Amino acid sequence: MRAGRAVERVVVVGAGMAAVRLGEGLAAGGAHDVTLLGDEPHAPYNRILLSAVLEGTHDPAALAMPLPDGVDLRLGTRVVEVHRDEREVELADRSRVPYDALVLATGSIPTLPPIRGLVRVDGRLHEKVHAFRSLADCRRLDAAVSGARRAVVVGGGLLGLQVARALSVRGLDVEVVEGGEHLLRSQVDAQAGRIIARDLTRLGATVYAGTRAVRLTDAGLVLDTGVTLDTDLVVLTAGGRPSTALARRAGLEVRRGVVVDDLLRTSDPRILAIGDCAQHRGRTTGFVPPAWEQARLAAAHLAGEPVAYTGTRSVARLRATGLDVAVLGDPTTTQGEVVEVTNPVVGSHRRLVVREGRIVAGVLVGDLSRIGLITQHYDRGTVLGPTEPGRLLMPDAVTAATPVVLPDDAEVCACAGVSAGRVRACSSLADVATSTRATTGCGGCASAVRDLLAARPLEGTPR
Amino acid sequence: MAGTRTHCPYCSLQCGMTLERVGRTLEVQPWPEFPVNEGALCRKGWTATGLRGHRERLTTPLVRDRATGTLRAAGWDEALDLVADRIEAVQAAHGRDAVAVFGGGGLTNEKAYQLGKLARVALGTSQVDYNGRWCMSSAASAGNQAFGVDRGLPFPLADVELADVVVLVGSNLAETMPPAARHLDRLRERGGRVVVVDPRRTPTADRADLFLQPVPGTDLPLAMGVLHLLVAAGAVDEEYVAARTTGFDAVRRSAAAWWPELVERVSGVPADQVRELAALLADAERVMVLTARGAEQHSQGTATVLAWLNVALALGMPGKVGAGYGCLTGQGNGQGGREHGQKADQLPGYRMIDDPAARAHVARVWGVDPDRLPGAGRSAYELLDTLGTDDGARALLVLGSNIVVSAPNATHVTERLAALDLLVVADIVMSETAALADVVLPVTQWAEETGTMTNLEGRVVLRERAVAPPEGVRSDLEVMAGLAERLGSPVPFATDPAEVFAELGRASAGGRADYAGISHERIRAEHGVFWPCPDADHPGTPRLFADSFATPDGRARFVAVDHVGAAEQPDAAYPLHLTTGRVLAQYQSGAQTRRVRDLPDDGPFVELHPMLAERIGARDGEPVVVTTRRGEMKAPARVVATIRPDTVFVPFHWVGANRLTNDALDPSSRMPEFKACAAAVRA
Repeated sequence: MRAGRAVERVVVVGAGMAAVRLGEGLAAGGAHDVTLLGDEPHAPYNRILLSAVLEGTHDPAALAMPLPDGVDLRLGTRVVEVHRDEREVELADRSRVPYDALVLATGSIPTLPPIRGLVRVDGRLHEKVHAFRSLADCRRLDAAVSGARRAVVVGGGLLGLQVARALSVRGLDVEVVEGGEHLLRSQVDAQAGRIIARDLTRLGATVYAGTRAVRLTDAGLVLDTGVTLDTDLVVLTAGGRPSTALARRAGLEVRRGVVVDDLLRTSDPRILAIGDCAQHRGRTTGFVPPAWEQARLAAAHLAGEPVAYTGTRSVARLRATGLDVAVLGDPTTTQGEVVEVTNPVVGSHRRLVVREGRIVAGVLVGDLSRIGLITQHYDRGTVLGPTEPGRLLMPDAVTAATPVVLPDDAEVCACAGVSAGRVRACSSLADVATSTRATTGCGGCASAVRDLLAARPLEGTPR
Repeated sequence: MAGTRTHCPYCSLQCGMTLERVGRTLEVQPWPEFPVNEGALCRKGWTATGLRGHRERLTTPLVRDRATGTLRAAGWDEALDLVADRIEAVQAAHGRDAVAVFGGGGLTNEKAYQLGKLARVALGTSQVDYNGRWCMSSAASAGNQAFGVDRGLPFPLADVELADVVVLVGSNLAETMPPAARHLDRLRERGGRVVVVDPRRTPTADRADLFLQPVPGTDLPLAMGVLHLLVAAGAVDEEYVAARTTGFDAVRRSAAAWWPELVERVSGVPADQVRELAALLADAERVMVLTARGAEQHSQGTATVLAWLNVALALGMPGKVGAGYGCLTGQGNGQGGREHGQKADQLPGYRMIDDPAARAHVARVWGVDPDRLPGAGRSAYELLDTLGTDDGARALLVLGSNIVVSAPNATHVTERLAALDLLVVADIVMSETAALADVVLPVTQWAEETGTMTNLEGRVVLRERAVAPPEGVRSDLEVMAGLAERLGSPVPFATDPAEVFAELGRASAGGRADYAGISHERIRAEHGVFWPCPDADHPGTPRLFADSFATPDGRARFVAVDHVGAAEQPDAAYPLHLTTGRVLAQYQSGAQTRRVRDLPDDGPFVELHPMLAERIGARDGEPVVVTTRRGEMKAPARVVATIRPDTVFVPFHWVGANRLTNDALDPSSRMPEFKACAAAVRA
């Protein structure tokens, strides 16, 4: 595949967030015959919203993603093999689909933590155990919630906290088990993690950090501390790993994910990989924005306009009612000067990592009032002044209260340009209107004018 | 003494007022019965007679002297003969389209109509457009797509008071059209809520119950996020959507991709505020969404309006009393000016110029052969951008527009004006554009002439003559008739406004904006008449869409749109967003208001946040320099905490702001991106 030559048949393995965005991009170009092969039976949906569906704040019927026109979407179709020499993929039914270019968008699969008893002898999950990755997982868990009273969420990462909050909102007693020393350990430091744990506790959940679940028995989930948590549901959210089996079998270079270069090409230049399954410059991601950025660039690349992918700034946002957390980049490992404001009393923790005036990472817990500005500065690499990072973390200074007595030259009515002094010189509200035109525009100054007139010294009283 | 009932010379509210002669002066008095403003006026209105007898008023034609390069006084015949001769010479050498006409959204309906006719019939050029393209054209394009018709407000403005929630997207009406804010206040007294979306916390936002402060150019994703949440919450009026619209499925899916945290990332509006807005709308019986220039003056202006229209449609609002979608048009005759043929692709009655039936109808009214009518010409900016080039016009006739101040990328546009063989400007004062002209024609102004305007509600109102014009000036209609005659027009051009209006009515008959049943007399008797009004017995149409939309199947269209963002994004060299707008005491290019003694002219300023001011070492009141890829301006800093810290604001009434703005155009409306570009500021 050479740059500049448009590819005819593009086959995409996967029909998730990245695949659909790629399909849209390719369809918009119009130069390709695009096929999406998705193994789930549902039309493409927005995976991000599943925890909101579980929580009950998002209509489960409203998950469908835009379907690109002119794309051949095949659902319930599992790809079992890539025949690189023949440039064909083989499906579970042994039929084959030829390609000129192939894009792997296989996403990730949930990791099963090493807990004995999760999987039954027949290889299926224990009936109390739930994964939370797909729409099918979500529906199964949702169905189980109504008959349940208690749930244990294994994993205190972003997904774990969202699921924990969702189940709490649904009225369950929820316990969160996190093997690391604190919650969100991939994203935040111990102090922030403790504040989040406190918030979660305040919201009614119980947090066990620094504790591993080791065994599921009829009595419940047994922790390595010896405690057994009696529960109706066990939800596994302890992370996922790139889905690489197909790439590995096809002989492509695979480390943690499918290794791609800056043009998102795997070790076979006819095969690209995007989204959660791809590993670029040693990194895999689990977020939508980088997956969409890669999808956009892959579409451009396949249209003969290669643009190098240089990585995506990430902002992880916890989507859970009552828990306000944003993580910019990698605040635990990124080097730089740290500006930090913490108030454990009210449960807020804000930390920015700044290098050469630019915000390069950060954490906001509890108070996200400036999130919309901080992420703009972060995303755009704005060079800030020396005092700015600090000011960004402080609440707005309380503006001085309006002086009780307006000076005569203070403007009272902007519409007519009338000062307090001119209002004071009038005898009545009607006089103000006719002689100054104050109150006759937008009407917003009427109460101020009334106050000014009322506060005048009485006639005959020496001033 | 009774005085003359008329309307303010400025914005699209067209506030009613009475003009009374008191001795030698002409005084503005309230006209409390006129329902739009009920006697209220802002200081621009109260001082509207301030230009009367002004020492800078032009009262004689001026012709640029070849020898000295300066303008000298000339007689009307000399000036008009010269213009006609040079136009004929240019057309003989370079073809009919080598002459272009540029109009304005402040011209009366009669003038706008006549200007289109002048171009198509007397000049035979397709090159006619106007500054209204820079006003509400994105909302016009969106309204046509969604509703099949473009009437700024499809209901009377006072209907605002009946809504439960009014969402103002990119409107600062408390400063730009203050009397309109009274309706908001009454709504709030009734317990209704006001939402304002603006990068600046304006005086309008101070009246809001909920204020959202997005990055300039991101109103579209905000609308998508709101729709996302409405869908998620099951708040879509499915019955309405099924019965009265088409196209929702694709829009519903497109909204699935805009969850609140993504909206927050793109727009800078915290996700919780997006949720708060959606919850407010989901619970309201009557929601009214109103857009203005802040949402519309973007390279994605049409798509942005469509995104908010989709919200209104999903809630089932358009067609319901006290609810729906509307555009707050800006210019005095922004509405009527776009309906009667001064737009490059349109004929009177909002007919499209490429429609054979429309051409046949209008040509019959005009008494010409339809095949002689030119086709569609260039849009305003494209017309100006090509002036003096091999492909563009070489002569330009300007009425009612001060291009040098109001065009985007103004330095470039001014260069294009200088490259013309002939520039003719009709104006009341020596505007910055008139100062460049080869011929300047002094014309009558407001209160010296009669004519109709169509306000933001689609209400046709009458501005009456109250005083005699000064010696030496002629009306625009007389100028056009004089030119048409000299150019050998096959048909005569009337100069009496009532006569021209009657002709306009016939030309518009059967069109979308049908004025056939409206006359100057009816307007006097009825405080204005809402179009469409197809015959003299028709009452006019204050509210549209109660039963059906103006589409072929009567259903409104959902149109799926996607966010692309402003054409120019901040980068290391230009790290800030620049946006532009108006101040209360000035109007448009300021040609009128800057000359009114009682209106403060403090000059331009650069509004910036204290955090930004501290970053660059700027102090309030001291000069700062704003630069973009297109130009530079220097003005005092105004340091305020009410603006986003990543954004600067400059008012556009003075030369300077538009040297900075971007000329990227909306693909459908051809609206330039006045409201967002990348800038740098230094102290």
